Parts: sequence; structure tokens; C-alpha cells
Amino acid sequence: MARIRVIFESGEPERVIEFDPARAPFQHDGKPGSILDVLLGHGIHLEHACGGNCACTTCHVIVKAGGTKLSASEDSEEDLLDKAPGLTPTSRLGCQAVVEDPDAELVVVIPRYTINQIVSEHGA
Amino acid sequence: MALEHEARIARIVEHAPDTRSLFLGGPRIAFRPGQFISCLLPVGGETLIRPYSIASSPEEDDLEICLNLVPGGLGSPYLLSLPVGAPLRFTGPWGTFVLDRAPEAETVFVAEGTGIAPIRPMLRRALATATRHPLRLLYGAESRERLLYRTELEAMAREHAAFRFAHVPGGQLRDEVARRWVDGDADRSRRFFICGVGAIVPALRDLLRGAGYERRAVQYEKW
Repeated sequence: MARIRVIFESGEPERVIEFDPARAPFQHDGKPGSILDVLLGHGIHLEHACGGNCACTTCHVIVKAGGTKLSASEDSEEDLLDKAPGLTPTSRLGCQAVVEDPDAELVVVIPRYTINQIVSEHGA
Repeated sequence: MALEHEARIARIVEHAPDTRSLFLGGPRIAFRPGQFISCLLPVGGETLIRPYSIASSPEEDDLEICLNLVPGGLGSPYLLSLPVGAPLRFTGPWGTFVLDRAPEAETVFVAEGTGIAPIRPMLRRALATATRHPLRLLYGAESRERLLYRTELEAMAREHAAFRFAHVPGGQLRDEVARRWVDGDADRSRRFFICGVGAIVPALRDLLRGAGYERRAVQYEKW
């Protein structure tokens, strides 16, 4: 079984999910078996304004441990991550990072902020 | 959780039997040209999240989204079945595919089908800045008759010397982009904004970046 320890910067209590990656998808948004898929399928809310289609950064997560057990990021994900607030070297988009190792042990932080209703002064 | 807005469908414009614009009245939200809203659709006993680019400009009262029927999809049949007056919940605006200031170089917009939606307000904003840099739109669609906002685009081209647009028949976008801006000259100072559905978008991204355009000069949104 794979395991994800989820830490919330918002201060919510931590959660630990155990799951079998082979059973993905766990719901219908994001890549099957992605962090977004696993979290939503286990009752943990992770914002995903674009529906998990790799078109925004609202599912930005920071992978504190186990990052090598995830699928490699593609250009589309990297391009979007560039625009994520609070970007770190281990940032991923939850909708794209797929848990590939059946015995993966991950620690994932859900940042407090995402780019959401941020509108510059240029926006009327 | 994201802040939810509740709008009502104020008006529907049918572009083609399978393509419509829905005008959402109610909350007036601030957004940047190119952003999208995330519609929350009650379908099959659950809430589907479906993103739609905003096709209108921030200065307009109603938000316009433009969509076509996706065969086998769940969200688009629901949205296209809604009558005028129906409520619609959404969050947003979202997204970082934006242009809201004067272009600093020749700017090329490439749209395919309903991918024109976010580009339309970008283009309007760019033209409103009275930029001295050329603005180009290459618009891929089956036929010229299938171009969305064709009359408006033609009027823009008449009124603004800096702006030109061309229709490209379906399936020929990549070759036309290569012909004009890869093989055509050695200038690599242009900026690109690309929007469409599916594999054509990363194909264009890779073509342009592979030809020497800066990574950040090639912005795109793939639906």
C-alpha cells in the first residue's frame, strides 16, 4: 500500500491516507492516480479550479518526501508552476503528479495560498 | 474553499448548432483578459467542475463564456441545455494565461475553434493600448464561416492598421505557424499566445520553443 501524509498550512489536522495506486482513478478529476485524484477520492479537499486539466496552479502542493516516487513533470506542469505563489524546488501540481510506486511514502504540504482571485490593478 | 458566485443566464447567442455563447448576469467580477471561470454544475447527483475562458472584456457588464458541445462530455450538454434565466454557480476568475498591458514586441495570437474565447479580450486590450507593435491572429477553423466573432475580427482589422488576422483551415495550423514564424525569418523576438483544444497546443509550443523563441515568450492554454 502507498501512503500519503497530508499537512495543511492552514492549520487543519494532518491526515494520513493509505491506498493502492493500482485502484486509480479514485474519482474523475486530474490524472488517474495523481495526488489530486487520491486526495479527492479520500475526502480531502484540494482546490482544482481548472477541473484537474493542467491549466491553473490551484492544486499546487509541496512534496516534502517521496518525490522520486511520483511521475516526472512535463513542460506543461513546469510552465504553470513557474506562476505558482510560494513555489519551492519540490513543488508539484497535484493534478499531474501521479503516485507510481505501490509502496510510495509521501509527505505532501497543502499551501495556504493559491492563485485565485488575484487581479492586478490593470484588471478593470 | 474558493468564493462562489451565483449568476443567471441573461442571454444566449447561438454561433452554430453546437456552439453557443452564454452571457452571465449578476455578480460583476474583476478579471484580467485571458482568465477563466470555473463552473460548478449539478450533474448526476454531484458537482462537476468545468472551466470556461471568459470571452468578454472586463469592461462589459455580463460575463460571456463560449462553448461547444463535447461529444460524450457531461458538462457541455448540461450548460447547452440551460435556458435564459437559469442560475449558474461559478468560482474565479482563475488562470495565468493573461495579457493586460501594452505588448512590448510583435504579438501573435493563435487560436483554434473556441480557443478564440480568451484571446478575444486579450486582443481587445492589446488594441486599446494603441501599441506600435504588430498584432497578428492566426485562427484555425474548419471553414471561414465557422470562425467565431468573424465580423468583429474583420472590423478590428479594418480599424487598426497594426492588426491582421488570417483564417487557417482545420489541421493546417502547425504548418502555417512554421511557414510564417519559424521558416519565414530569423526574428525570434515575437511573443505568442496560443489557445486550443488538445495536442495542437503543445505541438505549437514545442515547435516555437524548438525554433529558438524564449520559453516565456510562448504562452499557451490547452483545453
